[in-house]
Amino acid sequence: MDQTGNRENRANRESPPTENPLLQKIAKGILYIFLIAVAIIQVLPLYWLFLFSLKSNQEVFNLPPLALPQDPQWENYARVWTQGNIGQYFFNSVFITASAVILTVLFASLVTFAITRMRWKLNKLVLGLFMVGLMIPVHSTLIPLFNFFLNINLMDHPLAIILTYTAFNLPITIMILLGFYYTLPREIEEAAIMDGCSVHRMFFRIIFPMTAPVVATTAIINMIYNWNEFVFVNTFISSDRFKTLTVGIQNFIGQYSTDWGAIGATLMISILPILIAFILLSNSIVEGITSGSVKG
Amino acid sequence: MNKKRLSLLTLSTLFFIVLSACGQADPAPGDTGGGAGDGTGGGEEAVIDFMHLWPAGSSPDHHRIVSEIIAEFEDANPGITVNMDVLENEQYKNQLQIISSSNQLPDVGMTWPAGFMQPYVRGNRFASLEDILEDDFRESFVAGTREAYEIDGTTYALPLELNIAPVFYNQAIFEEYGLEAPETQEEFLNVIDTLVDNGVTPIALGNRDRWTGSMWYMYYADRLGGNALTEAIERSGTFEDPGLIAAADEITNLVERDAFIRGFNGLSDQEAKSEFMNGNAAMYLIGSWDLPNYTTNEDVPQEFRDNIGFFKFPTVDGQGSIDSWVGGPGVGLFVSEASDVKEEAKEFVRFFVERWGDQAVEDAGVIPGTQVNTAEVDLPDLFIEVLDELNNATDITLFADVQMSAGVAETHLTLIQRLFGLEVSPEDFAREHEEALQEEGGPQADGDAEESAPDEEEGATDEEEVEESTQDEEEVDEDAESEE
Amino acid sequence: MDKVMSDKKVIILYILPAFLLLIVLVYVPIVLTGYYGLTRWDGIGEREFIGLANYTRLMSDGMFWRSAYHSFLLAVFSLLSLIGYLIISMVLAGKIKGADLFRKIYLIPMLLSSVAIAQLWMRIYHPTNGVLNRFLTSIGVDNPPLWLADTNIVLFAIFIPIIWQYAGFYILIYYAALKNVPNELVEAAKIDGATPWQIGYKIKLPLISGVIKVTIVLAVVGSLKYFDLIYVMTDGGPNGASEVMASYMYKQAFRTYNFGYGSAVGFFLLVLSLVVTWLIRKATTSKEDEVQY
Repeated sequence: MDQTGNRENRANRESPPTENPLLQKIAKGILYIFLIAVAIIQVLPLYWLFLFSLKSNQEVFNLPPLALPQDPQWENYARVWTQGNIGQYFFNSVFITASAVILTVLFASLVTFAITRMRWKLNKLVLGLFMVGLMIPVHSTLIPLFNFFLNINLMDHPLAIILTYTAFNLPITIMILLGFYYTLPREIEEAAIMDGCSVHRMFFRIIFPMTAPVVATTAIINMIYNWNEFVFVNTFISSDRFKTLTVGIQNFIGQYSTDWGAIGATLMISILPILIAFILLSNSIVEGITSGSVKG
Repeated sequence: MNKKRLSLLTLSTLFFIVLSACGQADPAPGDTGGGAGDGTGGGEEAVIDFMHLWPAGSSPDHHRIVSEIIAEFEDANPGITVNMDVLENEQYKNQLQIISSSNQLPDVGMTWPAGFMQPYVRGNRFASLEDILEDDFRESFVAGTREAYEIDGTTYALPLELNIAPVFYNQAIFEEYGLEAPETQEEFLNVIDTLVDNGVTPIALGNRDRWTGSMWYMYYADRLGGNALTEAIERSGTFEDPGLIAAADEITNLVERDAFIRGFNGLSDQEAKSEFMNGNAAMYLIGSWDLPNYTTNEDVPQEFRDNIGFFKFPTVDGQGSIDSWVGGPGVGLFVSEASDVKEEAKEFVRFFVERWGDQAVEDAGVIPGTQVNTAEVDLPDLFIEVLDELNNATDITLFADVQMSAGVAETHLTLIQRLFGLEVSPEDFAREHEEALQEEGGPQADGDAEESAPDEEEGATDEEEVEESTQDEEEVDEDAESEE
Repeated sequence: MDKVMSDKKVIILYILPAFLLLIVLVYVPIVLTGYYGLTRWDGIGEREFIGLANYTRLMSDGMFWRSAYHSFLLAVFSLLSLIGYLIISMVLAGKIKGADLFRKIYLIPMLLSSVAIAQLWMRIYHPTNGVLNRFLTSIGVDNPPLWLADTNIVLFAIFIPIIWQYAGFYILIYYAALKNVPNELVEAAKIDGATPWQIGYKIKLPLISGVIKVTIVLAVVGSLKYFDLIYVMTDGGPNGASEVMASYMYKQAFRTYNFGYGSAVGFFLLVLSLVVTWLIRKATTSKEDEVQY
């Protein structure tokens, strides 16, 4: 219960091994070459997408993916910006994504806290119920959900999307949080309760901040999912003023042909905010740890 | 059912209590308008919800014409407003099914003919359009197009587009190797062999999408089997007809000669098309909807456009008519049976179809379902030639996957991919089609669920119409106006 | 302590918002899917109750079992990929110069939508112009594979982008978990002279075993209901060689108007996932008891 495993582990240590410094250097060199190679591979898709967005429809198919377009089609961007109301879509995307992420992370943290830290009989059952939520294929839910939102008059309303995102991302978020909550030492709560701290205060002031790294992690994951999601948006939202950026992509898919350059430009535009948000949030993974370890 | 709704309501009430208790700063729920199928109805005021699949981005001309027609209609009918909802092709199809499960179809929307619309008509979702066809409006459609949207003698949608599938070819490549557009299978095979010997890919085919390969098969089935395919689908004949097997054999023959581009079974139509447009392949069989790419599309190099011609699918060993085409109508407009503004919606459909016919070819490169007077329109030569061919067509066989009910179509398309992949023999290809067609109407097949509907022949009923009419054409030839 | 931590009011307050959302938006569809699975319905008109007929059909539906097999294969490959992601995360979480930058870069592809990833990999796999086949041709391979057209290869060809797509996801989780390991333990072990390998294997790994178990479940369940790239890149083809359960369900429900049967497939998928998850839990429980509960 209280991390006895750690102590055992520490007891398990072995005698200091002898190491060859030269070998170590070579190993490190190889490691870095490998890391850099992987890094390059991982960056290329972004570079590819950028080039893609500057290509004409013919070049998209004809040129090798990483070849420069002959005549960069900056007008792809102009087309994307002027057509439809990208500004509105953009705002909707940010609003819907942010609301859903906040709701999901908050609700999931509360649930995970109650399941892992509090004492009650049905906790395993409730956890199991949440886990089942992971398993339903999205397309099975469309007709029932459509019907449901229609009946409660939430059709074509952003709330329908926000709540759906929240509900569908809760299980995975709880699952990820779970592993971390299990590792929190019980002593923290004991100390807090000794000090006369209420449960709410303990959760919001101590536990929640302590889990900042994993909260940031789940926030990133949720953010990416919601930002790129389009099946629910298309199904539940019909008026233009509530649609999101993913609709911008649809705008360029035609009955018989597709404007790939413009799609590339839309993808490029829509990846920037999430890239920035990602970098910011991902810093807090590290920051969270330092503050967490001080308390822990 | 009632019980379920009740519990849903209870749950949702609970749900809202919690929501408000938690005090989120979300906008207040309420009617936001624009909901599908929610016309205001009554009196002078009416809102028509209209769902289509021509986004401004990918189809700017279509989109513009639609908007113009709507504006005109609104001007002519004060008090009526038309709301547009635009979705891309695939999403559109899904959405149509999802919203009609709750009986929430828009007042006016787009549908595909025959097999696609069957479940909607059987489920009583589409309104009959017979009343707006009463005067000579009925006669304004190209023979056989309106009939494709007819089920049990009732028209449920009106066509907006009509396509035939010519073989487009790159004249520059043909000239380089001293080739000419083939008229017989023999000449065609010669063209293919010459190109292959010279290391040129003869045919661009994106058979991941499967309907593309189906068109090739359709042509051979037409040339070698006459009406056998349609008869097989209608169940007045069998798919194991020698002509249909021979047609499959011709496909195998082409594949073995390397007629098609490498990896065609994994390529989408768009990828394959780009090979043709880049001059990497000499021929490309596609619907006439692609004509703008070879005529007016400024994004395609002029030089390439000038090089493109088309030929009619060759006859095989003297069998079949070269003027017999594979093609058919594409999207058409329906009116929702549940619409509150049905009369206005029907008026709108009629208005739309008429106006669309005037503008579609010239402004968007869409051949409408209504007749086009080629003398009056200002079009590139290639366009005029195709339109003339359309008028001279002795027969237009509707795309197989559209003719068939959805379940059989899926089997057909899979079999097409296997046939092209040389994974099924022509005999088995025919046999498996026959089995699927026989099974149709059985307890588990493709959603022919309705108790009331004449299940047994449901796969056949509407196709009959299509083919009948095309046969009409056969007899009357040329501008076969007289149907009915 | 016990009294405070077993306060029913607090528990209900904390669970309820999420639970209501779950019941209303996830369970209602699940129950309805189960119900639709017992009907013959095209998704449009009237429903007809037919009992278990859809399920008996499912049991003898070769195409379904083939797609189920493909889904399970994907699950196996996803599981194997976890090992690689765990190793990368351990390296990144260690004391490596620039680890922070590497980590951020490694996660970039995760930001791309499926549309973009599909387009990218279709360019890579293109039979003639593709990056892969151009390279193979340039090193003298005469007949490079037709990645997405060859029924023997296509499934594995499509697994690669799927697994790659989720790299960032798992690395992110593992990284956060590893960073959560209390520094004191690592320091103490270092003072005791443990090698980095030993620290990783003997200290960090057991400490994040809970997280690893979670990712195993996520990887398996995620694979079983996987849909996106398959749908865009191969549409389950050629000839069903890359069909998976979710794409098969989609085709039945939406393309061929067998919404009833499609729902049965969807519901069965859910049951399969449940069984598999239960098995995983069983298989990993013994250790869990020691470390946690």
